[in-house]
Order: sequence, then C-alpha cells, then structure tokens
Amino acid sequence: MIKVTNISKLYNAGRPNEFIAVRDVTLTVSLGEVTVLKGPSGSGKTTLLGILGCMVRPSSGRISLGDREITSLPERFLTQIRRETFGFIFQQFNLIKGLTALENVMIPAYPTGERYAPLRRRALEILELFNMSHKAAAKVEWLSGGEAQRVAIARALINNPTIIIADEPTAHLDTKLSHEFMVIVRQLREGGKTILIASHDPIVYDSELMTSRIELRDGRVINDGSRS
Amino acid sequence: MTARYSTLFCAITGTQLLLACLLLIHAETETAAHQPLIRRKAELARTLELSDLCLFTEASYTRHLALADLRTPFQEYPMAMEHFPSGSLTSPPPHLTETHAPHP
Amino acid sequence: MPHTLEKQRHILDFTLASLLRRKGKNGALFTVYTLIVFILASVMFFTYALKEEASLVLKGAPEIIVQRTLQGRYAPIPVEYGVKIRGIRGVMGVRPRVWGYYYDPVFLANYTIMAPEGVNLPPGSIALGSGISRMRRAYQGDTISFTGADGKARNFTIARILPEESQLLSADLILMAEGEYREFSGLPPGLASDLTLKVKNPKELATVAEKIVKILPDSRPIIRNEILRTYDALFSWRGGLLIIIMSAALLAFVIFAWDKASGLSAEEKKEIGILKAVGWESSDILFMKFWEGLVISLTSFLAGTILAYFHVFLTSASLFAPVLKGWSVLYPQFQLTPFINPGQIATLFFLTVVPYTVTTIIPSWRAATIDPDSVLRS
Ligand SMILES: Nc1ncnc2c1ncn2[C@@H]1O[C@H](COP(=O)(O)OP(=O)(O)OP(=O)(O)O)[C@@H](O)[C@H]1O
Ligand SMILES: [Mg+2]
Repeated sequence: MIKVTNISKLYNAGRPNEFIAVRDVTLTVSLGEVTVLKGPSGSGKTTLLGILGCMVRPSSGRISLGDREITSLPERFLTQIRRETFGFIFQQFNLIKGLTALENVMIPAYPTGERYAPLRRRALEILELFNMSHKAAAKVEWLSGGEAQRVAIARALINNPTIIIADEPTAHLDTKLSHEFMVIVRQLREGGKTILIASHDPIVYDSELMTSRIELRDGRVINDGSRS
Repeated sequence: MTARYSTLFCAITGTQLLLACLLLIHAETETAAHQPLIRRKAELARTLELSDLCLFTEASYTRHLALADLRTPFQEYPMAMEHFPSGSLTSPPPHLTETHAPHP
Repeated sequence: MPHTLEKQRHILDFTLASLLRRKGKNGALFTVYTLIVFILASVMFFTYALKEEASLVLKGAPEIIVQRTLQGRYAPIPVEYGVKIRGIRGVMGVRPRVWGYYYDPVFLANYTIMAPEGVNLPPGSIALGSGISRMRRAYQGDTISFTGADGKARNFTIARILPEESQLLSADLILMAEGEYREFSGLPPGLASDLTLKVKNPKELATVAEKIVKILPDSRPIIRNEILRTYDALFSWRGGLLIIIMSAALLAFVIFAWDKASGLSAEEKKEIGILKAVGWESSDILFMKFWEGLVISLTSFLAGTILAYFHVFLTSASLFAPVLKGWSVLYPQFQLTPFINPGQIATLFFLTVVPYTVTTIIPSWRAATIDPDSVLRS
C-alpha cells in the first residue's frame, strides 16, 4: 500500500519560472489494485507517478510504503526500494540502445548481485511470457514499438516487484497493440501485481480492468478515486 | 550460450598478466645468464683501459662522451652538419664544467 | 563476498557491452593508447637497460684519466707528467694511454685506434673491431690499408677480430702496437694521449685529482665516478629527443583526458538516468565508470608494455636503430641484457592507468548523484 499525504511538487522553486506540477494531493493505492491516472497534458500525471514510485522527491507532503515512512529516506534506501518494490515502464520505453533485449531485461537485477545463470534463465522466462524469446539476442533499436514495449515490461518485472508503474503505455502503440497491452495488464493483475498507469487513452482508461480511476487537473485530484 | 563479456575480459587480461610474468622471468633468467658476458666486457674495459661505450661514432664528443672537453664538439667528422639525433640523446658530461682545482 | 563479486561482474559485463557498441572509437582509443605506452615503455626499457649495462661494464674503466688542456682544448700530454703524478701519495701506477681517431674517407666512418698495453700483435698487424670488420667485410688474415699522418698508405694484416659480444665497447676499435701507432699517427715519443692512474684507496680519488691540478695546472683529471655519471645522464628526460617523445605522449594523454573530462554526452547522461531509475545506485554508476576507465587503460598498458619488451629485448630495439645510428656509418649491433626496473614500470602504470581512470570517473560524479526523474520525460 502506498499512501501520499498533502503531496506538492514545485519545479524551479523560488525562481521566476517556478511551477507547481502537483498540488496538495492525498491518495492511497492499495495492494492488488489497478489504478489509472487521467488528465490533460501537463496536468502532472508523470510527476505524480514519479513521486509514487520514489523517483521524484516531493517538495512537501509525506509518503509511506506499507507502514514505513519513506519521505526523508536517504537516496541509497530510496534506490533500493525502487529496485525491489517498483517496476517502471516509461513513456519512451527508455531501453538502452546498442544492447540486446536480454541485456536490457537483466539490467535492473545487476546491483542485486544475483548469480548470472539463474538471472539469465529468469530473464529468458519473462521474455518467453511475452513471446519475445526469439528476440532475446536482438539489439533493442531494431525492435518494433510493440516489441520494444514488451521488452520494457519484461525489464520492469525482472526484480519481481509488487507494484508496476506505467506512464502512457499505449501512447506509441496502435489500437491492436494497445489491446494486446491490456491483455498483459490482465496477466499481471492475475499474477497479483499492483498496477499504476497514467494514461488518457480510452482503451486504458475505460477498461474494466481498472479498479480505481483518478483524474488530475492542474496538479490537483478532481475526482477522488471513484471505484468501479 | 556464449561467454560473458566479463569472462572474456578476465581471460584477456589474465593472459596479458601471465605473459608479463613470463617476460619478467625471462628478464630474470637472461640477466643471470648474461652475467659472465658482462664480466667479460668489464674485463675488456679494464685491459684496454676503455672509458666509453661505442654508441655514437660520428663525433669525438659522442664517441668518448666522458672525455669531451668544452670545445671539441663537431671537430672530427667532416660531414657533420648537426649531430641529430645523437647530439640530442647525449648530454654534456656532468663534470664538464667542474674542476678539481682547489677553489680560490 | 560472492554477492559483491557477482555484482561487480555484472557491472563489468554491462560496461564491456557498452564499450563494444562503439567498436571503432574505442578500438582507436585502445590502439593509440597502446602505441603511446609502447613508445614510452620501449624508451624506458632501452635506456634503463643500456644505463645499467654501462654502469656495470664501465666499472672496468680507469680510476682516473688525466688529460692536458692546451689553448683551451685537450692536447697530447707529456709522459713526464706521469712521473710527477706518480709522486703523489696514494697513486700506485701511472700509464700513458696512446690512442686517437681515424677518419675513413671511403666509408665515411670514424674509427678509434688504440695502442693498449700488453696487446700481443705481430709487427704490421692489427686487431679489428667487429663493427669495422662487418662494414668493410675485412676478416682475420685479410690485409687492410690506412693512410698515415704523412699521407702514405700502410698495409696491415688483421691478426684477429675483437669479440662480437663486446661490440658495445669495441665495435669501432683498431688495436695496434704502440710503436707502430706513433709512427702511423705522428705522435712524437715523449707525448701520450692521456694518462691513466691506479690509486690505492678509491676514497682518495677526489683528493688525488685535486693534488694533480695543483701540481699540474694545465691538466684535467676525470674520475671513474664521473664517467659513470656521464652514462647515467645519457638519455635523460631533459635531452632533446626524449623531451619531444615525452611531450607528445603527455599531449596525447591530455587529449584523452580532455575528451573524458569535457563531460558526458546527452546520451550518456540519459543512460545513467535510466540505470538509476531502474535501481542502480550512485556507487554502481561510479563503479561502471571505473571499470570503463580501467578496461581501456589496463589492457592498453599491459599490451603496450609487453610489446615494448618484445621490441627492446627480443628484436634489439629495431625501431630505435635508425635514431641511434643517426649520422654515423658505424654503429654497434648488440643485444641488450633485459635489466628491468620495477619502479619504472610502476611509475608508468601510475602515470597512464590512474589519470585515465580518474578522468573517466570524475565527470560522471554529478550525473551519478542527480535524481533520475529526467528519464520520466524526454
Ligand atoms: N523539470 C521540470 N522543470 C520545470 N517544469 C517541469 C519539469 N518537469 C515537469 N514540469 C512541468 O510540470 C507539469 C506537469 O508535467 P507532467 O510531465 O507531470 O505532465 P503530464 O500530465 O505527464 O503530461 P503529458 O500527458 O503531456 O505527459 C508540466 O507543465 C511540465 O511542464
Ligand atoms: Mg507524462
């Protein structure tokens, strides 16, 4: 369970171009939920996801993960939490070019010092899950958009996180691929993952998989997580 | 399954280190083996009363570097235009400007 | 801890995979780096081995050589100077040395002719340095002709060739009986080229030298230590050619360092952001950069040093030969004894590997510690 209380995020604080991306947001994401953040461009979805995923430090407010207060933890511990608890699927996929799909999938596990052979086997299994094992040795820049996303999802899963965070996962996909993505979301949900998605794509937003929908406008939550 | 990059790197660096060690051993044994030869050379220097190495023969001051005086450079070899590179590899003997005369 | 080890291996795997992405650039870097280390190490091996050999071989040099200066240049010394010097306390023996140069107008080469004591040569015959023998294709039993001071050519029989193994000392030598050399060179009796001394106590050499100058103000004593120091100063880093090599190497390293220190490309920064976002710690990023610097510099250092050893000691520094020959027609061909100075290798290591690795790590310091939120948007 992630709980944020009175979270705000200021960019360029104290300077003339100061900008409040998230204002005074309080919300709770429970385990096993599939939450979607919706809102117009610039409404602060990505910023809020970053805060929830311990990647962006809020300017004020408190975050707790489970029953642990993590607002003011030093960088090292946040990194560890990020690695063990969260799997990120970025808007731009953010795969590392020039490396193979398999290498990209294994990267988040490197700092754990897991033995190579089991790690590699696990990475291949996850790729297999998304029918991507035949592309394991392919360099990521040669993959199609859908394939690249599946590699990005596999990478998010390698450390077996409890929470998956996806930012605009269908922005670069056509309708067919977007529906395929939703199939994967279903798989993940059935696998017991907590899922947080930012999207204004109706295929995602209106999907019956969503257990909670949060709408943002100008950094504020305007409907408080209406359950479906 | 192809080898990991780190395995390849360790293999390459390991081979290099091994080779370097072998060369050090080579140096050690060769140096030991050359001892009699060096003694014979020192003996030759003693019997012939030699003061210098025959490294650069083009001018007296490079051939007999230790015996150079303040004004000899370039006088023997008629075609000596400029003694590059030997002239720039050698430097005047440290005792060139010193004198054993008691200082006044 | 096997866990830490495996983690470092993973980071190394990643670093190598990253380096292999730019094969051309990193390959060129490795090649240039290796070449610089090769040149520096070759110079180092060569000069150290030669100096070491000189210091051992020249231990046999005369303890004191007394020259005479006349009109500011050195000139033949009267043999009776020796009598006066013999009277100085501690001097055990004085011997006039008779030697000089000979210019061979056909081969454009300079020889050194010596008339050492106790050389057993039949009349009209000489011993020939192996360098001259090789150049003139003159061997034992052949007759060779030199022009004397009076302009007349004289024939000499080659009684023997001086040993090949001592070329470093004797490649250009011609040994002759003293009487014949005086006749050949026109050095009058009563004069010698210089005097060599034997002194009872090596500690007294400087005192003896001082006394000689006091008695004979036109004389110039040279102590064996000074000869040894002369050869120790040979190929010093301040010497003209070596300073060029050094500066070139230094410049190359500055360019490398500049390339590294001028900061990371946007692409590299983004990759660091991604790594941090997916759970790499700042220290992992720095380790990655450490490996990157070390992989290039260590392999180049080892490759360059190993190649330099082969070059200097197994091919007799063949690449340096033209430089050493210079303008001289006659030069020794010798195989160096591989004297190695571990201190020098360590210095080379610290001058090449450490700065490169450090300049690789430092610019990534900031990138490694910033928040990874930049990867959320592009
Ligand atoms: N580093 C930054 N410095 C200044 N302003 C920023 C920074 N990052 C984000 N912003 C601003 O914060 C606001 C919210 O950005 P955010 O990326 O969270 O929006 P979003 O809802 O994800 O938009 P989109 O749907 O276009 O992805 C935007 O107006 C953006 O310009
Ligand atoms: Mg966004």
